[in-house]
Amino acid sequence: MSARTRELFALIPAALLLSAGFAAIFLSRGDLLGGLHGTNQVSDVSLTYGGIFLGVCVGAHLVLRVALPDADPYLFPLVALLASFGLVEIYRIDADLARQQATWFVIGVGAMAATIVILRDHGRLERYRYTIALAGIGLLLLPRLFTPTNGAYLAIQVGSISIQPAEFAKIAIVVFLASYLRDTRQVLVLGARRVLGVTIPPLKHFGPLLLVWGTAMLLLFFIRDIGSSVMFFGGFLAMVYIATDRLSFVVIGLLLFIGGADLVAGHIGHIADRVEAWHHPFLESNFRPSNGVGGSYQLAQGLFAQADGGIFGKGFGGAVLELPKGQCGPTAQLCTLLPAPHTDFIYAVIVNELGLIGACGLLCVYLLVCQRGFKIAMLARDSFSKLLAAGLTTVFALQVFVIVGGVTKVIPLTGVTLPFVSYGGSSVLANFVLLALLLLVSNRARREA
Amino acid sequence: MILDPISVALKYGFLAVLYIFLLWVSRSAMKDLRRGGQGQSWTPGGGSPVGDEGTSIHAAAGGNAAALDRLDPRLVVERAPGHTPGMEYEVGPGAILGRGDQAEIRLEDPFASSRHARLTRQGGVVILEDLGSTNGTYLNEELVGGPQPLHPGDRVRIGDSEFTYLDAVD
Repeated sequence: MSARTRELFALIPAALLLSAGFAAIFLSRGDLLGGLHGTNQVSDVSLTYGGIFLGVCVGAHLVLRVALPDADPYLFPLVALLASFGLVEIYRIDADLARQQATWFVIGVGAMAATIVILRDHGRLERYRYTIALAGIGLLLLPRLFTPTNGAYLAIQVGSISIQPAEFAKIAIVVFLASYLRDTRQVLVLGARRVLGVTIPPLKHFGPLLLVWGTAMLLLFFIRDIGSSVMFFGGFLAMVYIATDRLSFVVIGLLLFIGGADLVAGHIGHIADRVEAWHHPFLESNFRPSNGVGGSYQLAQGLFAQADGGIFGKGFGGAVLELPKGQCGPTAQLCTLLPAPHTDFIYAVIVNELGLIGACGLLCVYLLVCQRGFKIAMLARDSFSKLLAAGLTTVFALQVFVIVGGVTKVIPLTGVTLPFVSYGGSSVLANFVLLALLLLVSNRARREA
Repeated sequence: MILDPISVALKYGFLAVLYIFLLWVSRSAMKDLRRGGQGQSWTPGGGSPVGDEGTSIHAAAGGNAAALDRLDPRLVVERAPGHTPGMEYEVGPGAILGRGDQAEIRLEDPFASSRHARLTRQGGVVILEDLGSTNGTYLNEELVGGPQPLHPGDRVRIGDSEFTYLDAVD
């Protein structure tokens, strides 16, 4: 079975999951569709949705078949699976949002196909590395011109659409780092001096790297988006480590990060709040439903929701997200049991509805995506491709870690999207471009292997 | 409430499909792990060995500083008029490629200029530079403009002469 045929078959489970998920949600809302008599209609409609989803995926598959015949066969189906998770859960939360998310999914698949067809060879990115680095920093700077949401300058409003430029900036910065490290990694190792048993990289060659990356980090603190800064920092350290094989660089970086994080946690108000909420989510003074931002209400409710899911979950449509009017306090905010269920806390909703088993399945999908990504990096022949694939995969993995870790109270909660699952156009679009780059690297690597 | 069994069935069906799919995909990952020691490619059709390719990025960079002293950057002849394919030229501290007498790597190629291109070492990196030749120097089939760092496996072409750059002790 050729790689592309495998891909085609692997798309079928994703479409099945989407159909099953939608059918279950329609059933749980049985009264909306005429109760028991709606059963036939339910299966028809959900199969239609599954069919449309499969159609879009097969369309993308055909583009891959023509443009990238040797690319990794499992990467796109795994992503399609994540997207079907997202569409089902978002539909369950809000049908209108799901319609928008479905539109974004189609646009994202289109963007992936466009990236592959237009770019053709990821090596071409190297020629524009400084332009790409500047564009990435520009994207990070953009939201500062607009008003902050929840204390962070994350999004810009264009008409009715909200764009999160950091999602695109992460790809730009990884491309720059991969290209720059490819040229200087040998110099970084050779020119290094040893001071007190610690290898210090030569400043002359490390300088430009620190400049671009340092600017990105400063901007992230400037726009107060800590979730993204963890992603950038982790991605940077991973790439430096892969490029130089020097553990000391990583140790220095981590020490700097701990120092910086301590400083920032003490000085920026809403970050200190987040850390406090993380330490004591169930403390009454932190648990303020009326004040969603800063308190631990969201985090604590998310933890309750996950515990409530049990092993097998409550089933689709089983999660209680809002109390009926009259049973809660006078304000609408008090009725919301779980704020932001479609973005930051979609993981908690999934755990509630599918239980521990479903959550493990979801995390396994992410693990497999990362495994494919690192596999691509290992197969790639040239340093730029290796660094690019490894860097993109690391950033992707860290994004999942930051949000899932935040929701499960492993680390302080910061708002980044769960890639391909959370509601959000920029996230879906940017991650599909990331996927396109991975597939491009993979195609060349496996053709040559 | 009567619909509940169907709902439950759908949920378990969803989970079952999910896990069957995961098993299928991870099977190839498991194969990778098992074959890892033999250095086999995981591609079902193209089972060419990739060997230490997995971590090979450091074979080029040199895992540690001591290993770097042993590196001898060299050009291997792929095809060149007047040369046997497979012949190796060490770059040493630097070398001129060209048709002229003072060139360290003599090209008997009608398309080559007398001083055609230069290789210089900067730290552990070998830089390829065109010396204003008439017909240009190609690095991986791309015309060389300014100085370009060479990476192992890069192909350098001047006229009909083609070399592969290698710098690790294999």
